[in-house]
Amino acid sequence: MLQQLLEPTPLPPSIKANRIPSGSDTYNEVLDFLYDEAEMLDNLRLGEWAELLTKDLEYNAPLRHTRSTSQFDQTYSRNVQHLHENYGSMLMRVKRITDTKSAWGEDPPSRIKRLVTNVRVYRIDDSDDLKVESYLLLTRSRFDFDYFDLIPCVRHDILRRENGALKLARREILLDQVVIGTPNLGVIL
Amino acid sequence: MDRKSNPKLSDGTLLSDLINLETREVKMRALSDPELFELEMERIFAKTWVFLGHETEIPNKGDFVVRDMGSDSVLMARGSDGEVYVSLNVCPHRGMKISTHDVGNTMTHVCIYHGWAFKPNGDFIGAPVEKECMHGKMMTKQELGLKKARVAIYGGLVFATWNIEGPSFEDFLGDAKWYFDTLWCRTEKGMEVLGPPQRFTIRANWKTACEQSASDGFHVLTLHRWLSEVGPYRKPGSEGGGGDLTPEMYGTEVYTAHAHTMRCIELDRKIRRLTGKDPSELSIKEKLEALPPPGITPEMLPEVLRRFSDDQLRVMAWRPPQVGNFFPNGLFEFVYIPSPDGVIGVMALHAYVPKGPDKLEFVNWILAEKDTPPELKAKMLRLGVQLLGTSGMVEQDDSDTWPHQTLAAKGAVSKHITMKYQSMYENNRLEGWPGPGDVGDGFTKDDTQWRWWEYWYELMTAEN
Repeated sequence: MLQQLLEPTPLPPSIKANRIPSGSDTYNEVLDFLYDEAEMLDNLRLGEWAELLTKDLEYNAPLRHTRSTSQFDQTYSRNVQHLHENYGSMLMRVKRITDTKSAWGEDPPSRIKRLVTNVRVYRIDDSDDLKVESYLLLTRSRFDFDYFDLIPCVRHDILRRENGALKLARREILLDQVVIGTPNLGVIL
Repeated sequence: MDRKSNPKLSDGTLLSDLINLETREVKMRALSDPELFELEMERIFAKTWVFLGHETEIPNKGDFVVRDMGSDSVLMARGSDGEVYVSLNVCPHRGMKISTHDVGNTMTHVCIYHGWAFKPNGDFIGAPVEKECMHGKMMTKQELGLKKARVAIYGGLVFATWNIEGPSFEDFLGDAKWYFDTLWCRTEKGMEVLGPPQRFTIRANWKTACEQSASDGFHVLTLHRWLSEVGPYRKPGSEGGGGDLTPEMYGTEVYTAHAHTMRCIELDRKIRRLTGKDPSELSIKEKLEALPPPGITPEMLPEVLRRFSDDQLRVMAWRPPQVGNFFPNGLFEFVYIPSPDGVIGVMALHAYVPKGPDKLEFVNWILAEKDTPPELKAKMLRLGVQLLGTSGMVEQDDSDTWPHQTLAAKGAVSKHITMKYQSMYENNRLEGWPGPGDVGDGFTKDDTQWRWWEYWYELMTAEN
């Protein structure tokens, strides 16, 4: 009971037989969605990005642990997470940056590239939604620091068609780092 | 009484040159000097009680987590007798790290290097091929266990120290206990973590975070101003709307001999808003019913009322500790966040783990009472994640500030600039304030943070 309340709704599985082949119209449309999304975020078009979200959005980034190979499936924790968001809280994150003069954690903003690769698209049984898996490498350059903070992750998304256009309904971000190597996740992944 | 020393850095600078006890200034150099860092690890983190986690992280026999006491990795484990043990996570054979996992369960910790095995309590079990006696015959098995720290459990929080014969944990808490009991010991069943802690790295010295944790009120006005621009502290139209965090700066600040400090922020405005009544006309019980402490529901209140003195209840209903620190590197938040669902309490604990002079690991636990209803736990968890820790909309501004201070501590000129703590309470004690410790009343001041530096200096100059 408590676990269900604390954790996000489990994502539907990625079923091999439901894979939508690379290069198909649907696949290309998803790819364009992810590329356009990355472009909006990299260029601080956050209000525009928020319009891509469905009202029942779930947006999560589980914690990770170092455990043995035999416990690989237990390396994620989904009660306390790094991000545990819904539509309202994501809008607040956007408004903090677009509507205040005090979002110091990203003002001045980082220079960011969201490199999206390894995109796989799946149909979901009994649903018109699409399950999309992608790799994301986010590079973050802050102030005059001579290093980049790197945030490599896998994203498991649910995309839904609303009024003809794809929208983001679910996103789970699986980070590689147990101890996140950037001072905050004040950037959208 | 400990003998005093005045450590000298390799360029001849004395520790006393870096701090001015009269004018309440600390030179930036003290923030990030590598030699001072080594001394801090020895004189503070290897001596004082250090906060490591919560016992509900390791509920079952054999459960363990790996944590840090200053620059040393330790195993925090539950033994076969059900007790919590803390041992150095280093093999006494050749110094390999015993557990390279973050978390797990085992009754036998086996070093992967040569196979020496240890119990959760640190006792040596044996080495492979027992009859050949890999560990020799010069030392007994009792002598070959993991180095064990002394452990204290308080309100479920696990503290440990290497100072085996040193002051008791109660002595370490001192006057802070009277207040901390109202946070950590509110129910019979006690608190629990809602999951493992968030962890992330900041390129900043541990003291940038920790001197702030000692109840820096002023930074909220500017660094966290967004809270009143679009955030939860935007005032309702009936109170003029817009952004002004000034009212949140009033209350009582407490600072104790061992530099545990807290900001006891006044709840009267919130209670007036919730009840429409003048708080001075309400009883303590009525105030607590209108605005229960974080994680407590009106149904849970009778138990809380039974457990505390009238004086403690008065503080809990009027000016409860909302943010503060455990010296040296712990921070707690018991905050009342306005939300569309009413005021939601958020309870979090941070450890700022030193990782060298220029790096710290931020560890963030989110907690609730075990008795808190599941729906409320879920709300507290989400709000905690959204405001605090890795992605927290409040704390991402802190974590972006501390690296700049750390860099400034390196400048040939700026390392001689001083940090100033010169805003002082002039009428220290509010008449009728029922709690112990040093107490300041009114608008926030620097006394709490200055106490942090005073105690830092006391420990750094203690010979033994």
